Amino acid sequence: MSPLWRDEIAIYLAPRKLALVRRARGLKPRIVAATVLAVPAGTVGDIGPVFARLADVLTEPTWHGAAARVVVADHSWARYGIVPWPATRLDAAGRLTHARYVLGDTYGEAVADWAVTLADTPPGHSYVACAMPATLRSALEDTLAPARLALVSLQPQLIVAFNAWRHRLPADDTWFVSLDDGLLSAVHLSAGAWDRVHMARLSPDWSVELERLQAFGRLTRAAGALGRMFVDAPAWMRRGAAASAGLEWLEEDAGDGAQTHELALLERMYV
Amino acid sequence: MRKLPRPVRLDFVAPVHQAPLAGAALCVVGLAAALALGLAFDRELAERSRLDAALGATARPRHSAPTPESLKSAAEAATVERELGIPWTRLLAELEAASHDSAASVSLLHVEPDPGKQLVRITAEVRAVPDALAYLKRLQKSAVLRYPMLESHERRKDDPEHPLLIKLSAEWRR
Repeated sequence: MSPLWRDEIAIYLAPRKLALVRRARGLKPRIVAATVLAVPAGTVGDIGPVFARLADVLTEPTWHGAAARVVVADHSWARYGIVPWPATRLDAAGRLTHARYVLGDTYGEAVADWAVTLADTPPGHSYVACAMPATLRSALEDTLAPARLALVSLQPQLIVAFNAWRHRLPADDTWFVSLDDGLLSAVHLSAGAWDRVHMARLSPDWSVELERLQAFGRLTRAAGALGRMFVDAPAWMRRGAAASAGLEWLEEDAGDGAQTHELALLERMYV
Repeated sequence: MRKLPRPVRLDFVAPVHQAPLAGAALCVVGLAAALALGLAFDRELAERSRLDAALGATARPRHSAPTPESLKSAAEAATVERELGIPWTRLLAELEAASHDSAASVSLLHVEPDPGKQLVRITAEVRAVPDALAYLKRLQKSAVLRYPMLESHERRKDDPEHPLLIKLSAEWRR
């Protein structure tokens, strides 16, 4: 089969959760298989258990022979930074070094040996940089290879979630918040671009963190301006926080809401 | 129309530098133009080949093996062409002028051209050898003839005046 028409498998990886969607290509692409699996032994910061579970799942022929697009939960696997456009002209290597400096300044030595990549941004604008453990990609390729899966994309969850919901967001003074199992990632938009990124571990009462973020937004906003906060969260969180004021929950217009948050995210990648 | 936030193109595997739409459109237009030009060129080549073939079929002389008849005809034609090429008018006028200059001491009997060798053979009668030499010298000055030579002379005893029969040859100039 031509690589252009090869099936795709979208994989979501989180420390304690794994989701897979197989999409048949062709004139009418369609989803032919989907599954969500728990990883009881998983712990934040350890990729071993979830990769072992993934290797188990990939022994099934359902998931063989395709292009793999992988989304990793932000958790402890992704760190973001907003890098100002440099005053002097830099080549690609120079921009990468600059981004490493900014990320190191924010997160310290922990990300010193991580892989860093930059978003494609028009000249003159600040750009998004992201760091990910350097071993993640190679471990992923080693796990996918026996199932004849070619890794064609590796993105962190916040990027995928933001691009999927972008059409519902205003371009100015807006927070986009992605909530998941134990983590909050928030992006502030100004003039259609990211200008702040905030990440926090969630306590059991995760609404406290949202209120904290709202308060932070009010303090940093110009007087009289009306900022909005859009939240992408699993259904159980939406139900529990229905009474929270000032939040706009991002939900699919269609669908019964029974689908898991992870599968919905993977399917939105293709919309 | 509501302004949307810019998408964030960031990927650890896939290339994120996407060609702008205008660039892609320009590329498509360029490819289409190149294709159209190629097709047009191919059509022109085919047309040229067709015209070459038609021209070859109509205008090219047919080469066939020569037959004895055609060789004979060609030889006859060449002979006629050579004979037609003899400058009779100038030659006769020159011989007449030479006779006149020789004060009627020379009587021309016979003039025979050899077109193949571009040679004229003259037979004449003179009274004595000095007359023959004077006639020869006069022919040497001619603008029409070159290399005149006295080939033979013979006293005719059958004639009561015993004239001298001389034979000369000369080439004519074209």
